[in-house]
Amino acid sequence: MSPPEERPEVLKLKVCMAGEAMVGKTSLIRRFVVDEYDDRYIATLGTKVTKKVIAAKDPRTGGPLDVHLLLWDVMGTRTLRDLLKEAYYHGAQGILAVADLTREDTLLELEAWASSIRLVAGDIPTVVVVNKADLEAERAMDEASIDAYCRVRGWPWSYTSAKTGAGVEAAFQGVVDRVLASPP
Amino acid sequence: MTSEVRPDTAVLVRERLSRDADDPDALFTLAALRANDGDLDEALPILDRVLRIDPRYPGAWILKAKLHGMRGEPDAAAAASARAQEMGP
Repeated sequence: MSPPEERPEVLKLKVCMAGEAMVGKTSLIRRFVVDEYDDRYIATLGTKVTKKVIAAKDPRTGGPLDVHLLLWDVMGTRTLRDLLKEAYYHGAQGILAVADLTREDTLLELEAWASSIRLVAGDIPTVVVVNKADLEAERAMDEASIDAYCRVRGWPWSYTSAKTGAGVEAAFQGVVDRVLASPP
Repeated sequence: MTSEVRPDTAVLVRERLSRDADDPDALFTLAALRANDGDLDEALPILDRVLRIDPRYPGAWILKAKLHGMRGEPDAAAAASARAQEMGP
């Protein structure tokens, strides 16, 4: 008789997107959740929550864990950021902060997004992705600048392309791993 | 995609509401725009409409609590906060 299978624990995690309009927040979620990409830009209005279950390992017990990820996609409208910060980030456990490789201001603005989030959710794990890595010819910031900006803030970062899918799964997994590894 | 310019949020809201007057995303955004302009008297009924359409609309109860707080209505703010807590993350 085979030993009974260990049933995974279930954990709900709220992970929020952050970043300016048109950096690709919605496209990253779409790529991660349904593995699709649409080249047309449709601005996000309001708030969208998408669920995805991923398997992980409980860092405390080493046992299997089913993570029920609640991915909050938010409007990148800068003028509404302060008003909506509680509505978006209350109870958030992790942040995927998104910049656009072709617009340097979108990286520099992440500090303001992070400050806003910290006021509501505290110092929660934050991972930066520099999206649109497929548009290398239109690159507006060099790697050393990105690295310096993120390193001084303690943010791990990587490139992603929602269009090709490169780096997307690893980025979301990176947020989940950091949240699981962070103290409760 | 990078050459595109994001349309003005207020314009997007108008377009969406002209297609569907009960679009909760557009109404939530309209409420936020009105509140951001300081027009809480107009923002709150719009937000209430969002919550009638979708009582679980993400973040709406928390925003409602905030707007009542801004209007100096602590009881209404507390009631909305309690609803937000019931909803969970």
